[in-house]
Amino acid sequence: MAIPRPKPNLNESIIPFWHAVNDKKFKLMRCTKCSAWYFPAAYCRFHANEPFYGNMRWEEASGRGKVFAYNIHHRSLHPAFEGPYVYALIELEEGPMFGTNIVGCAPEDVKIGMPVEVVFSQVEEDLILPQFRPSGIVCEPA
Amino acid sequence: MEKFLKKKFAIVGVGMVSGRFPEYGMRTLQAEAARLAIEDAGLQPSQVNGAVDLQLAPGSGSPPLETDAFPRILGLPCRMFFSIGRGGQAGILGIVAASKFLEMGMADYVVLSYGATDWSRTHNKQRTNVRSVEKIGHWGKPFGDVAAVSHHTFFASRHMHEYGTRPEAFGEIAVAQRAWAQLNPNAHFHGRPLSLDDYMNAPMAIDPYRLQDMCIVNDGGVAFVLTTAERARDLKRKPVYVLGAGTGEAMERLWWEKANYTQLAVETAKACAFREADITLKDVDFAGLYDCFTGEVLFQVEDYGWCKKGEGGDFLRGGAIGPGGKIPINTSGGLLAAYYFGELTHIHEAIMQLRGEAGARQVADAKIGIASGHGGEILAPGMCSTHGTLVLGRD
Repeated sequence: MAIPRPKPNLNESIIPFWHAVNDKKFKLMRCTKCSAWYFPAAYCRFHANEPFYGNMRWEEASGRGKVFAYNIHHRSLHPAFEGPYVYALIELEEGPMFGTNIVGCAPEDVKIGMPVEVVFSQVEEDLILPQFRPSGIVCEPA
Repeated sequence: MEKFLKKKFAIVGVGMVSGRFPEYGMRTLQAEAARLAIEDAGLQPSQVNGAVDLQLAPGSGSPPLETDAFPRILGLPCRMFFSIGRGGQAGILGIVAASKFLEMGMADYVVLSYGATDWSRTHNKQRTNVRSVEKIGHWGKPFGDVAAVSHHTFFASRHMHEYGTRPEAFGEIAVAQRAWAQLNPNAHFHGRPLSLDDYMNAPMAIDPYRLQDMCIVNDGGVAFVLTTAERARDLKRKPVYVLGAGTGEAMERLWWEKANYTQLAVETAKACAFREADITLKDVDFAGLYDCFTGEVLFQVEDYGWCKKGEGGDFLRGGAIGPGGKIPINTSGGLLAAYYFGELTHIHEAIMQLRGEAGARQVADAKIGIASGHGGEILAPGMCSTHGTLVLGRD
């Protein structure tokens, strides 16, 4: 039997993000006062905040960004993963950074600055991941 | 500003055990290192009435909590004992805190000790494999961000992108530190040298890193005894003085300015530590720079000012930080080639160098050395935001 991937270990401040992913929505936290975007959860740093993120909402984002940095895992460091795979840092259009996989192209074709967009991959029966792929490339769902 | 640390406190004893000890727990290794340090200082355990438990939280997060305390194991009559640490730095924080307790007269001699069972935890299948557990909170394990190298590579990737840095720059660091390790009989890679050709021909592991870019894993412990400069004069070892210390944080730059992907938070750490010590970089005879990966050394060579930002690759060419180079860096072999005890590896080496006990790797006439710490929480996409600078010196 294949060894399953580690599941996201949820705490209260990240649960809404993963619930949205299950509905194939890519949400970030946004300030209702000044519209600034955040990920992961944070108080807005531009002004005073209401208690416990009161002025912040999880809101659907564009799901677009650019590759900021990346690596290629040629070696597997965990039995659930097979190399090579790309783990990248995406600078989202809204500003925050997001760590994810680049799929839909060969690892050697990934470049810093490359425009990418979210794709919701059903990697296991009970796990959907917001991975990213080169923008405009249509590929079969995983 | 009035100087707090300058030459008022001294390290008077040091102890280390390093290797693979599957038969001992973390607290035992920590106690053994502390026992050695107390003995090295020429003190009786009954005189050591302060202790600090140094805790690193490397790679996979905080080590598992242990119920026991090393001062109990050693029977130390402590009036003060606490745990301290963040990421890959604990010694610098511990020294600053213990200094204040010494000044207040809470303790006469403080032993600070760190214990590690990293090798046993990952290799001894009889034990609980704590590394397979996803930490609570936000991390990228489902995406395959399963180890420190899974995201530390981002930093190297950015440096290569922004400054055109070549793999040879990282190779020079791996090669130089391996050369130092050949002069240190206790180093893990003693007897196993590495050439730049070996490095370049090695396969990519987590591109842009090869295995040779990554630190080693071992068990053991490092401890040292801190006291006032006044008390240090009556002891048998040459005192190693705490000249300065400082810390920096890069959270803001990492998360909002996205500017700290090619540098560490050296600026404020260095400024405070060097001001306390009243030195400039020219006064530094050798350095232990935190080297969880080769990239961190490259960044610090630039951040501390041995060369300009982005010019580390040129600076490092031809063994600049190795034996006989421009500036001796990580003379024990460091975390890459000697032993992994976080920044305690570098503090230990600084003590050996300043006491003139570094054997074949002794830096001639070494008077002032620095040790740096680095690390932070695991929060995808990676937030190793803390940096610490410690300046040590001798008479």
